[in-house]
Amino acid sequence: MSYAVRTKLLRVLVYSILILLLAMCVLPIWMLLVNATRSTAEIQQGISLIPSNNMINNWKNLTGRGFDIMKGFLNSSVIAISITIITVYFSLMFAYAIHVYDFAYKKFLYGFVLVLVMVPTQVAIIGFFRYMAALKLTNSYIPLILPAIAAPASIFFAKQYLESVIVKDLIDAARIDGCSEITIFHKIMLPISKPGAFTMGIFAFVGAWNNFFTPFILISKMDKYTLPMLVQTLRGDTYRTEYGSIYLGLALSIIPIIIVYTIFSKYIVSGISMGAVKE
Amino acid sequence: MADSAVKIKKSRHRFNKNIYGYIFTAPFIIGFLLFSLYPLLYTFYLSITDMTMMKKSYEIVGLDNFTKLFSDKFFIQALKNTWKIWLLNFIPQIGIAMLLAVWFTSQRLKIKLVGFWRTIYYLPNLLMPATIAILFFNLFSLYGPVNQFTVRAGILNEAIDFFRSNGWTQSILIFVQWWMWFGATLIILMAGMTSISATYYEAAMVDGANAWQMFRKITLPLLKPVLVYTLVTSLVGGMQMFDIPYMLTDGRGSPNGSIMTLNVLMYMKFSSNKGHIGAAASVGVMIFIITCTASLLVFKVLQERRDANPKKVIKRTVREGKHELCS
Repeated sequence: MSYAVRTKLLRVLVYSILILLLAMCVLPIWMLLVNATRSTAEIQQGISLIPSNNMINNWKNLTGRGFDIMKGFLNSSVIAISITIITVYFSLMFAYAIHVYDFAYKKFLYGFVLVLVMVPTQVAIIGFFRYMAALKLTNSYIPLILPAIAAPASIFFAKQYLESVIVKDLIDAARIDGCSEITIFHKIMLPISKPGAFTMGIFAFVGAWNNFFTPFILISKMDKYTLPMLVQTLRGDTYRTEYGSIYLGLALSIIPIIIVYTIFSKYIVSGISMGAVKE
Repeated sequence: MADSAVKIKKSRHRFNKNIYGYIFTAPFIIGFLLFSLYPLLYTFYLSITDMTMMKKSYEIVGLDNFTKLFSDKFFIQALKNTWKIWLLNFIPQIGIAMLLAVWFTSQRLKIKLVGFWRTIYYLPNLLMPATIAILFFNLFSLYGPVNQFTVRAGILNEAIDFFRSNGWTQSILIFVQWWMWFGATLIILMAGMTSISATYYEAAMVDGANAWQMFRKITLPLLKPVLVYTLVTSLVGGMQMFDIPYMLTDGRGSPNGSIMTLNVLMYMKFSSNKGHIGAAASVGVMIFIITCTASLLVFKVLQERRDANPKKVIKRTVREGKHELCS
């Protein structure tokens, strides 16, 4: 067999594998979305990949049993948006300090942050819970939001990004014009790094939106439940046989992320590469 | 004299500005001390006490919690489960991601729409783990779509009760973890591969190296830092696996504790009706120690002499290539 023929055969093989993997990624999600529009009877009858028209009934059934998804959306949005703003702002501030100033322990501090990226953090949850309970902060969103000030992975990303955009001459020019350092950070640095801040923000948002463990430990009041905690209640007895409603609840929890991803997938995919590869 | 005055002024000027280095890093340091370091140290402290949620007083019991853990068959099982589930999802994850990355960057295959494939493969990683766990529970339930399909298509005679079988439940969990992460690993590996300069490959090609030799002697060595990064981040995540194993079945790692991971065990001790804070903290401490030791080992073992000197690599490639030709 010639080289060209072998290349062609190999290409056919590769494309078939790519299509298989594509089906594996998309089918479960597509079935979830389709089943959200079908009635329980239809779902039990068999598989379908074409949407049906039972969504409104599923919705009534779902919300009629105390699944307050609007509240969940609201709670999760409040937390995720606050975390996003705090993470982006303080991570850029830290990275800017490391990038622009010379001060003692600077190298050590940045090295320390890099080590922190690789330290398991969830394991301290028991201490964190007792600590917050002592401060009477369980069932509050403060312990969920404030720790976002110290986000090592975001700092790593911010530092990589700043290296590619910050021009020291610009900072010097601003200094000569009499800007204070804090003004320079706010008026020059933040606008310049908008694209990077945006990518960082998406990751911070998705991470916060999907986070289950910390709120699950700290929040016990039903009306403070975040979206993943609400989703978790779909496992329980309330919906045992109401498959249509379960699928609808599940679908609603991932649709916002799917929309964000279809719009911003370019930023997200390039963002992962940038966070990992140091040239 | 004027000169030295300028110097003094300049150095004072620099000093003043650099103070901001401390000011701008202060929020992180304070946040880290208050919300990360203190809770961690406090968890270590709690792990040597017999604190429960029930009574106010508690005593320091030394390493009692830890000696209990090592004679506790649930802990040993959780430890084994966690490593098994992580390893069995990580190996295919890095394998498939590497294969795809090689295909996507191949000059020979010239795969079209690389961006599109990658974008789709990454999608599962962004979805809420809670949703994914419950989705797969429903898909694989006794009357669920998977059983409907296999039985009606005649692949199987009767439905499988996946979540009553240890092996099936573990396999589904491993599959879900793999499904969520291979796309992310693919993107990271591809970024690493595309940052390798094309000149190395050109030089190797001129010297008559084949595709496998180039992969083995150029791609792999130069990709090592990225591989170490992937391995360690996956390890740290894998040792703390909680959401999917917790929600895939009943939250106790059923059936028979087959998907009870260390973090699930920690939560079980924490949420038991007595609320064993001390025992739960000791599980957390064990996860911390295991993860950090394993990460350090990875760095130690994989970061021996880094002979990524491209010239040497190419020379050696060619030498071995010739050797193969002769033999």
